[in-house]
Amino acid sequence: MRKKLSEMMYGEEGIVKSIKESLKGKIAGMGIRVSKKVKMQTKQPIKGPVVIIIDKAETSLGLGLADKILVEVRDEDSVNGSS
Amino acid sequence: MRILLMGHPNVGKSAVFNRLTGARVTESNYPGTTVDYTKGRVRIEGDSFEIIDVPGAFSLEPKDKAEEVAVKMLEENKEAVAICVIDASKMERGLYLALQVIEKGYPVVIALNMWDVAQDKNIEIDVEELEDILTVPVVPVTAISGEGIRELALRIKEASLVKIEKIIEKAGN
Amino acid sequence: MLDLEQRWELIDKIAKRTIKFGKYRHTLKDAIAEITVKPLTGIPIAIAVLYGFWAFFVAFAGFFTDGFLVKLFDMHWLPWLQEVFPAGKESWLYYIFVGDPLADNCFEAFGMLTSGLFVVIGVVLPAIVAFYLVLIVLEDSGYLPRLAVLIDTVLHKIGLHGYAIVPSILSLGCNVPACTACRILETKKQRFIMRTILAIFIPCGAQLGIMLKVIPETVGWVILYLLAGYFILGFILSRIVPGESPELLLDIPSYQRPTFSNVGRKLWVRTSSFFTTAIPFVLLGVIIINVLHLTGVIDWLATGLGPLLSGWFGVPKETVGALIVAFLRKDLAVAQLSAIEMTKYQMVTSVVLVSIYFPCIATFVMLLKEGGVKGFLGSLAALVATVFLYGGLLHLIWILLGVA
Repeated sequence: MRKKLSEMMYGEEGIVKSIKESLKGKIAGMGIRVSKKVKMQTKQPIKGPVVIIIDKAETSLGLGLADKILVEVRDEDSVNGSS
Repeated sequence: MRILLMGHPNVGKSAVFNRLTGARVTESNYPGTTVDYTKGRVRIEGDSFEIIDVPGAFSLEPKDKAEEVAVKMLEENKEAVAICVIDASKMERGLYLALQVIEKGYPVVIALNMWDVAQDKNIEIDVEELEDILTVPVVPVTAISGEGIRELALRIKEASLVKIEKIIEKAGN
Repeated sequence: MLDLEQRWELIDKIAKRTIKFGKYRHTLKDAIAEITVKPLTGIPIAIAVLYGFWAFFVAFAGFFTDGFLVKLFDMHWLPWLQEVFPAGKESWLYYIFVGDPLADNCFEAFGMLTSGLFVVIGVVLPAIVAFYLVLIVLEDSGYLPRLAVLIDTVLHKIGLHGYAIVPSILSLGCNVPACTACRILETKKQRFIMRTILAIFIPCGAQLGIMLKVIPETVGWVILYLLAGYFILGFILSRIVPGESPELLLDIPSYQRPTFSNVGRKLWVRTSSFFTTAIPFVLLGVIIINVLHLTGVIDWLATGLGPLLSGWFGVPKETVGALIVAFLRKDLAVAQLSAIEMTKYQMVTSVVLVSIYFPCIATFVMLLKEGGVKGFLGSLAALVATVFLYGGLLHLIWILLGVA
């Protein structure tokens, strides 16, 4: 199932599927790109930023930026089953 | 010849700079520590060269002032040789910047820094193969202890211009 | 040049042929990285870290200042100097260098060689060393970016984002390098807001150190009032300054154990730059003030500005001297306030005024250098409005509480 990066749950993992053009170049150098495995490390309360892990590197993005990234995650059942 | 020390923030660039020049630039563990550049001199086999510690940048599409300085330094030093310092445990994203510098037409030497950390993390990098594909010198370095710095210095003069098409061709087969 | 996709495609090919990832073992570092950034554990840890920072600062500075240096200066240096100083006690030379001949402590004497040296070495130096020691360990460990993530939501409200915590904390050491550190913020608007509110509201390490000594019971309230001002002015500026406030986009480095040599070297660099920049200014400040006293300029200004100071701000007119010297050094200005007769509440107002009224000259220059003429004038306008409104507000609060 596809969802925005900003909608991922704590600890959830997925594969980056698309990044809005306006953000692509800005985060490329940080190693965030399509087809990479991404893990949601934390989400801060009150619409705070998210922290994700790609290639063992942690990056923090504001929620609005995280909205611009689409991720493919395994469907709900298997996520619940594995966590 | 002028040498530019390029790389992401927090890859130990300042440590490499200190090791090469004997300077005592301090470092901090957060992006954007060095918003200005530092100059020094490095002696290689009796010759002395100017070396510039460029502020850390993730790519050549600047998003803040420190990165703007990095891009400006490149543009102002068209004849320079670049040492691209890469965190060996985060090599892919490091290569992104290194390739950009190569594409811009600078002779490059790659320093795979934090080699010890990468080994602790069980990351194996085939340096010879990497060198063969990129056709630029690639030197594993642990700047904190000084390991590999001598070789890095000696191989700066091997840096030469590489066409990106050639790298694509070599990587392809 | 390749486009982004082509470049990544190439990197994928290269990586496939050259990198092998072995089994990854989770380490203690990973565990610490996780708990310090997750809100449930991270926020209590952040509070503990910042409180620990403050507690260490107070304890360390107090230990050296009250334990050794006050005794050294008051019991040995001052009496000795009063004894051996070659010029007569009535002479102007004595007044400038030694100060009040009847003083029995280095705070009140207010000579260049008494109060001047005492402020710099006796009070401020231990504070600076204590502050930088903790700051450097925080910097080198990699904790600051995590703190930035935790505080992002709050700083968003004032047009900044979490990473503004870096210039803000650096500013608590010295506002000058903090102005340069504002460059890590992405837009002109953010940098302007940051520079302006830190120059006005964040007291530097030297000032903190002297405040601890002069107003130990009320220093917490002063800091709270300044902190509130930081947010209020930030909030207002974020609404009226045109431009964008982009969101946080921050690479978080792995934790590292700070190395002894780097910490030591940095501590030395910063302490010695404090010495070379602070000492001449403090000593010069004492001379200027004493000369202005001797020539009657201070009295003249005090009479002229008296109605404003006592009417609007509710502080004694004698504070005018401290306000003048605040332009050179904030620490010296607070020290000077300690010698003026006033109530506890007036003291709080005076210290707040000294803090928000004009940054020291070095910071002033940085505002111009980093902000350009336009940015500088903007900061200046914000500053003047702040001094009158926010300084006056404190007087109003005291009136309402019935203690003015």
